[in-house]
Amino acid sequence: MRPPPVAPGTPPVLQLVGIAKYFPGVIANEDVSLDVLSGEILALLGENGAGKSTLMNVVTGIYLADAGEMIFDGYGVQFSSPQEAIKAGIGMVHQHFKLVPAFTVAENIHLGWSETPRNASPAVLEARTQELSERFGFPVDPSARVEDLSAGEQQRVEILRVLARKARLLILDEPTAVLTPSEARDLFRALRAFRAEGNAVIIISHKLDEVMEISDRVTILRGGRKIGTWDTADCAPRMLAATMVGREVVRQNLLLRSEGAAPRGTVPELSLRDVSVRDDRGVTTLSDVTLDVFGGEILGIAGVAGNGQRELTEVLTGLTPPGRGTVLLGGAPAEPGAAAFARQGVGHIPQDRLHSALAPSLSITDNMVLREYEQPPIGGHGFYHAEAALELAREIANIAEVNIPDFAMPVRNLSGGNQQRLVARREIRIARRLLVAAYPSRGLDIGAIATMHRYFADLRDQGVGIVVVSEDLEELLNLSDRIGVLCHGRLMAVLDAAEADIERIGLLMGGRTETSETKMSVAEGAILS
Amino acid sequence: MTRFQRFPTAPARLVLAWRAAALVAAALIIGLLLALSGRNVFELAVLVLKSTIGSRFGLEDLALFMTPLILTGSAVTVTSRIGLWNIGGEGQFYLGAIGAAGVGLYMPGSPIVVLPVMAVTAMLCGVAWIAVPTLARAYAGVNEIITTLLLNFVAGLLTYWLATGPWRDRVTGALASTGRIHVAIPEFWGVVHWGFPIALLVAGGLAAIMTWTSWGYEVRISGANPGAARYAGMPTRARIIAVMLLSGALAALAGMFEVAGTVHRLQGGMADNFGYLGIVVAVLARRSCLAVIPAALLMALILDAAIVLQTRQLAATVVLAITGLVLLLIAIGDELAHYRPVTPAVRLPPSAPVATPKVTT
Ligand SMILES: Nc1ncnc2c1ncn2[C@@H]1O[C@H](COP(=O)(O)OP(=O)(O)OP(=O)(O)O)[C@@H](O)[C@H]1O
Ligand SMILES: [Mg+2]
Repeated sequence: MRPPPVAPGTPPVLQLVGIAKYFPGVIANEDVSLDVLSGEILALLGENGAGKSTLMNVVTGIYLADAGEMIFDGYGVQFSSPQEAIKAGIGMVHQHFKLVPAFTVAENIHLGWSETPRNASPAVLEARTQELSERFGFPVDPSARVEDLSAGEQQRVEILRVLARKARLLILDEPTAVLTPSEARDLFRALRAFRAEGNAVIIISHKLDEVMEISDRVTILRGGRKIGTWDTADCAPRMLAATMVGREVVRQNLLLRSEGAAPRGTVPELSLRDVSVRDDRGVTTLSDVTLDVFGGEILGIAGVAGNGQRELTEVLTGLTPPGRGTVLLGGAPAEPGAAAFARQGVGHIPQDRLHSALAPSLSITDNMVLREYEQPPIGGHGFYHAEAALELAREIANIAEVNIPDFAMPVRNLSGGNQQRLVARREIRIARRLLVAAYPSRGLDIGAIATMHRYFADLRDQGVGIVVVSEDLEELLNLSDRIGVLCHGRLMAVLDAAEADIERIGLLMGGRTETSETKMSVAEGAILS
Repeated sequence: MTRFQRFPTAPARLVLAWRAAALVAAALIIGLLLALSGRNVFELAVLVLKSTIGSRFGLEDLALFMTPLILTGSAVTVTSRIGLWNIGGEGQFYLGAIGAAGVGLYMPGSPIVVLPVMAVTAMLCGVAWIAVPTLARAYAGVNEIITTLLLNFVAGLLTYWLATGPWRDRVTGALASTGRIHVAIPEFWGVVHWGFPIALLVAGGLAAIMTWTSWGYEVRISGANPGAARYAGMPTRARIIAVMLLSGALAALAGMFEVAGTVHRLQGGMADNFGYLGIVVAVLARRSCLAVIPAALLMALILDAAIVLQTRQLAATVVLAITGLVLLLIAIGDELAHYRPVTPAVRLPPSAPVATPKVTT
């Protein structure tokens, strides 16, 4: 095991004593006491809405605690803003990034920082950023604009921003939710290096394997209260899951169809024929994709993020018209437009719910009727019935098992996972023909993931076609009847689940086509003969 | 343990209560300051009350002030619903006045025919005036605040040019004014013309459209998150265009009412900041179409009181300071309305043992 970098008996870096935070009708945190030792990585676990983000927001001064004390480095502290927290040495990277998209990496790093040299030229800022980047082992391109970066790169900028301000306690809220597996590995390597210098990390995650891999101790919250803290070495993922949820989470075989399930359709519900898409700059992001999705099946789409997944989901849901090729819905050319697709029974769980699936500042009610506001009982003849809308919002919240004290409250006040649950239920409601789900389990706790997978299986048994885009091959293999693999905007192959295994998919994800291999061997044969 | 906590929403009830308190506080502060500077506060107060809400003439004046304010306030409010700001109410007001005056001056016929033509022409002129900012916004993403604002100065100068040039009054030779228009909006109550009840109806109608139609819902979503509107397949661009053109028409209608209801001619400078005050009214109304009415009433009261105070040798700058104070206190009141006392619900921790009565034998 790791040698303890600090002598035993060193006081904790951060100590929380009896912290409470209340929101109207919700106990977000109550009586939470917690120690974070220097030289350790502490994982914070809990179901969606357990109060993890809120607790960390209290630590970093975004919220004021309603009760309790905070002791940092042996002194009682109370921060009234994140700036104060970072000055003291506590930095946080949030679930939703807070960078300025139009600024460069160097500008973002130096924004609102007392050590930023006055009137510095971009070149100076970039040189400083380069130096920081090397010092902390987070490679970034100082002159790149943040909006052009991948999620993983943006996250490195966020972390670097915090480390540059000499944070000794780094808080990461679901950092790996948006990372590719290799980006996650890089992150963990950097976190270990950070820890080795006697610093501390609090990491929030729903991915238990990662928690097992990276953390030294685990603290679990449930319903806003602390259940306990354990050494990770004494834990197993199963036990963590059960403690988090309060009951055993049973893994079902989702590939098993229920009795009386609708058989797999014979006519495709939705077909793409030689579909290509170009982005604004004229770069081909999806090329010559031909794909059939049948009713009563789950089609998984594997691939490293950024290889055409977004474009594929947008074409499948009518958001982007194909530059070339045709989209057939139920055998006939599809009426264009996202609204028309939705009317025809195509539901869509998009990858960035806050930016596209929800209007964060509007009420929960307004957000829940987004798909049905034109149909009775809410709409019809151009009208909008507010009572019926509230009724529908209640119904969706009920089946999604999200407890909502006030439906007029802006939807952004809900925890990240609860937003995702509501969006998922809203879309499942309208998916009579097809459901397209991009990274549906991002941000969900394991209980909620199991529930959502069950929904997908039920939907499949009702004869609906489901497309699940994910980077998690295990998730795809557990769910899918067939798996398509995307690489550089090309659909490399569509495999039957029976013949698919992680290795084969991995090769295809890396761009190795099977046909090119066979072609090659044929060619070799020709040369040999 | 009861504490005050900031809530994301402010119930209308609390907003009203805090605003009432803010107005009382404003009145007290102003009274105190006037008293300290040796004024007879009581006499001034009586005078202000009498010449606003305390007399028939005062009320009529208020209604006349409110009419354009409701319309220009509505014009800004509708655009704010879709997340845009029409700062060009002043210019569209002028264009409405120009359109109305053009018809009124040169179209013969009975008022029943001429007045509707004036109204329609005025609104079309307002629509035309906001058309370029609208299209620039909808198709090129050009910020509408700047474009609408800049056109105000053009419209103001255009009005001066018409009133001093081609359309100038050749009969009486009045400065920067056209001749008198032969038709007028009939009176409804005293000197208050029918424009007032129509403006009230317009505000009510807009509120109904925004709350009770799917069009209003689409406007709300498009304003709050264009990404979500695109995701749901809403015709966002069409909504932006419709809302902005509607806004231009509303401000222009205010101009037509001024020309045909109160001034009866086109005059340079006649918009009298009504377009800009519409922004203040919209801010006071907090994006609610219905709340534009009380907000316009408040603004009219301030304007009216200001005029009275000016007749008592209070400098115009003092009046401006008073206006600012009232608005500041109201803004503070609005913020306070977000706070409510809460008593945290008592809940057992999930793992707490449930107390069971001991059975003793
Ligand atoms: N600003 C707010 N106003 C009202 N309620 C809030 C606010 N912020 C959080 N809550 C509520 O507090 C509870 C805890 O939320 P929090 O975001 O801390 O959960 P979480 O553990 O981070 O969940 P997730 O894993 O889904 O991100 C939730 O019920 C949430 O709705
Ligand atoms: Mg959270």
